Amino acid sequence: MNQDSIRNFCIIAHIDHGKSTLADRLIEIAGGMKRAKVTEQVMDSMELERERGITIKAKAVRLDYKNRAGSRFRLNLIDTPGHVDFSYEVSRTLVACEGAVLVIDATQGIQAQTLANIYIAMEHNLAVIPVINKIDLPGSEPERVMEEIVSVLGYKASETFLISAKTGQGVPELVEAIIERIPPPGGNLELPLRALIFDSHYDDYRGVIAYLRVVDGMLKKGSKVHLMGEGTQMEVLDLGYFAPDPTPAESLQAGEVGYIATGLKSVAECRVGDTVTITPGGASEPLIGYDLPKPMVYAGIYPTQADDYADLREAIEKLNLNDASLTFEPEASPILGQGFRCGFLGLLHLDIVVERLEREFSLSLVVTVPGVKFLVTKTSGEILELTSPVDFPDPSEISKIEEPWVRISVVTPSFFIGALMEVMQEFEGEYRQTEYLGQFTALGEGGQRVRLEYDMPLRSMLTTFYDYLKSRSRGYASLDHELLGYREAKLVKLDVLVNDLKVDAFSRIIPPEKAHEIGKAVVAKLKESIPRQLFKIPLQAAIGGRIVAREDISARRKDVLAKCYGGDITRKRKLLEKQKEGKKKMKMIGQVEVPKEAFLSIMKLG
Amino acid sequence: MTASVSLYIHIPFCRKRCSYCSFVSYAGRLGDIAKYMQAVENEISQRIDGRQLKSVYFGGGTPSLVPARYIKSLMESISRYFPKSGKTEVSLEANPCTIDNTCLKALLNAGINRLSIGLQSLDDGELSTLGRLHNSQQALEAVKHARSAGFDNINLDLIYGIPGQTVSSWEQTLREAVNLSPEHLSLYGLSLEPGTLMMELIESGALPQLNPDLSADQYELAEEILEEEGYRHYEISNWAKPGYECRHNLVYWNRGEYIGAGTGASSYLGGRRYNNTSSLDKYLEEALAGKTISIENDEIISPELASAEAAILSLRLDEGIDMEKYNRDYCTDILSVYNKQITELEGYGLIQNDGVYIKLTPRGRLLGNEVFWRFLPELTGETNLHRVATE
Repeated sequence: MNQDSIRNFCIIAHIDHGKSTLADRLIEIAGGMKRAKVTEQVMDSMELERERGITIKAKAVRLDYKNRAGSRFRLNLIDTPGHVDFSYEVSRTLVACEGAVLVIDATQGIQAQTLANIYIAMEHNLAVIPVINKIDLPGSEPERVMEEIVSVLGYKASETFLISAKTGQGVPELVEAIIERIPPPGGNLELPLRALIFDSHYDDYRGVIAYLRVVDGMLKKGSKVHLMGEGTQMEVLDLGYFAPDPTPAESLQAGEVGYIATGLKSVAECRVGDTVTITPGGASEPLIGYDLPKPMVYAGIYPTQADDYADLREAIEKLNLNDASLTFEPEASPILGQGFRCGFLGLLHLDIVVERLEREFSLSLVVTVPGVKFLVTKTSGEILELTSPVDFPDPSEISKIEEPWVRISVVTPSFFIGALMEVMQEFEGEYRQTEYLGQFTALGEGGQRVRLEYDMPLRSMLTTFYDYLKSRSRGYASLDHELLGYREAKLVKLDVLVNDLKVDAFSRIIPPEKAHEIGKAVVAKLKESIPRQLFKIPLQAAIGGRIVAREDISARRKDVLAKCYGGDITRKRKLLEKQKEGKKKMKMIGQVEVPKEAFLSIMKLG
Repeated sequence: MTASVSLYIHIPFCRKRCSYCSFVSYAGRLGDIAKYMQAVENEISQRIDGRQLKSVYFGGGTPSLVPARYIKSLMESISRYFPKSGKTEVSLEANPCTIDNTCLKALLNAGINRLSIGLQSLDDGELSTLGRLHNSQQALEAVKHARSAGFDNINLDLIYGIPGQTVSSWEQTLREAVNLSPEHLSLYGLSLEPGTLMMELIESGALPQLNPDLSADQYELAEEILEEEGYRHYEISNWAKPGYECRHNLVYWNRGEYIGAGTGASSYLGGRRYNNTSSLDKYLEEALAGKTISIENDEIISPELASAEAAILSLRLDEGIDMEKYNRDYCTDILSVYNKQITELEGYGLIQNDGVYIKLTPRGRLLGNEVFWRFLPELTGETNLHRVATE
């Protein structure tokens, strides 16, 4: 098809602002799919994605559409992940498009991540169509949100659409506007092939499937190609597009969006952001600088039962085939046994990985406190990169500790500014600026909306910060962050002793002035989550040899069944069998049985 | 096959279900009692095996709801079905508000020689928490009536650990009960199963949570008081004047055989344990038609399980496991098979081994489950015990 008839676009939206519903409606209206077939949201295919209401992996769907003037067009809708942990993927998706539909919830307004994404779109000169969604809801305030869009983002009210993705109201007009306002691709078919990979996944039968946007030249079945960033050589085994089911094709030309089957064994060989070109005689410049998303958050993952280590390794390796941003290396803990130190893009990414390991591979896991990568300079001058508190040298050997900082952006109704500023301070935030978004006062939310900008150690953000942010703003505040770099820090290691045994999984790196407060919270949480046992268990938090907090779990005194009523010994025995089975789910720390939930509760404490 | 067998008869009828009850019981079916007693007789007539009868126990439900004439008729049939076996202990559970002088005399006349009265508490507030239909006054009178009717072997059931009960209210109940000079006392720590009314009340916050530490204090106090009063603490929950230990319950703890008749009743015969159907309608239909009663939870007790159960049940008794007898009965060597468990439990101070017997310590009696589960075989795979037994 002629490039003039192609439109490549994506939808930018904050979580729950209705991106997937709008995608479904577009597929229905432009792609001619029956409504019944779109009852489930088509573009979120992973079970977890649907449960959490977020899109983790970008996908693309091709829609053939005849506009009101009677011309035929091909719309390629590229789905974007909606969470800041996956901002690298979002940025690659945007680069693959000429335009974006910016969806803003009429009941909420602009959110922190919306702003971050819109700035990327502007940077890449995308044509943006602002849309106010959910106008059918009783609590919607389209006028206020419109004012935000006009004053904060600088778009005109006349170019903004009022829609309800749920009912379909306004969506046909939006489709027409996509064709009018988003420019056609404009690549050069005569130039050597250049295609951008914006997503990839591993398929058991066909190896890595890469989703790409062809910018120049043409891709054919059987083409010999290579990746300009990673250097991977491969052959195009198969190619096609999604409509929305995979549909094989003969070729993908400049301007088109589709997939290729590569036969590669791991997505690490074929990563998002890389440029595909032909071998030999390929392009000389990639489409965009290729760099890898770096893990920001680290945690140890261990099997509850030591016997499951091999299964865990297999599971992580398998997951890694599909998720190149997950890093892992074997780690041994004196308490937890054999496991892995894993790197994640963020806390949500960690959550998703752990949940998938448990759900898809039936593993029972213990996860240690998430942390960041510290740079520790020893007095000897040696510099260590440490991702686990366990590896910290003795304080006397440390001359300098550096830790990563982030710049955070919080969008909130002004009513909560005071409370949120307190939260920032508690979490070591350094104030930078306040920016007012729009002039109107929101009806239900308490005031004008503002953006607060702070710098903060990433370590601090990984704790209960987000929970506080949400609770002190009654759920209204939204958060975005970007990495700033390393700064020197004054930090110490807090150890936790259970029954006088130091448990490395509970260790954490903290500012010394918070030792008492955090130590108290940790031992209190452990006391809550470790059941009473046959002996008294002291729980202690310590900095070096100094105990900063202590709680005792008193010994259990009573646990016995009444008589075997009417000779029903089997029923009583079953209760004992259940008790015995329950013990197996416990992680032993010395003589102490620690339920998985205890690790979880400490991890959530941050 | 053992020379004698015990007989348990389940009477599932109640006027009202108690808030803590999870047994097979039916409220509002009193009209079926006559039919039911006929059904039980039919069932027993099918299950006689020529053995002598060691004991009979009418449990419930509320056996004292059954008019004495039905008990008498059933007892007459039972003595026809089973060969004479000297004086057999025949127990019947009674609810204080269902017995008067006349009916007590009739029960005695019917052959009941041991009466177990469900006192539960002598505090009216606690009785109402438990959902009992009687008050403390009726409870005390019931015991007096039983005495004057001529019962010389009386057990009183009491419950501790009731939400709202204190150590001192428990002490008062216990002392008042002891003043009635019962031959036997069963003290049960309240434990709740999901689905009971009381559990729901606790979960909804209408009643306070069970407090195991308070229960432990109450239990220790009971041990002290009853020892002073001359009762032998012969099983975890049971105390008796010397010679009045409950022979029927001892059959359970010694892994003797028993026939369970009536709906939901549990039997242990020929290495198999099973329950009759817990559906009253199904039971009535089958028994009255002379059919075999449907069974549930049918289980063949494997050698490993048998020896594990023997250890657990023996440990409930004050004398504990007689090691020589145990090794002989189960072709094993308990100290090597359970070496790890015994060492661990001794370390925790839950059991003691005097070279002849292994028994629970006072602390072990309160933490029996921690001892018992360790004696259970692994659910999958071969156990050490099995290997030793087959060598």
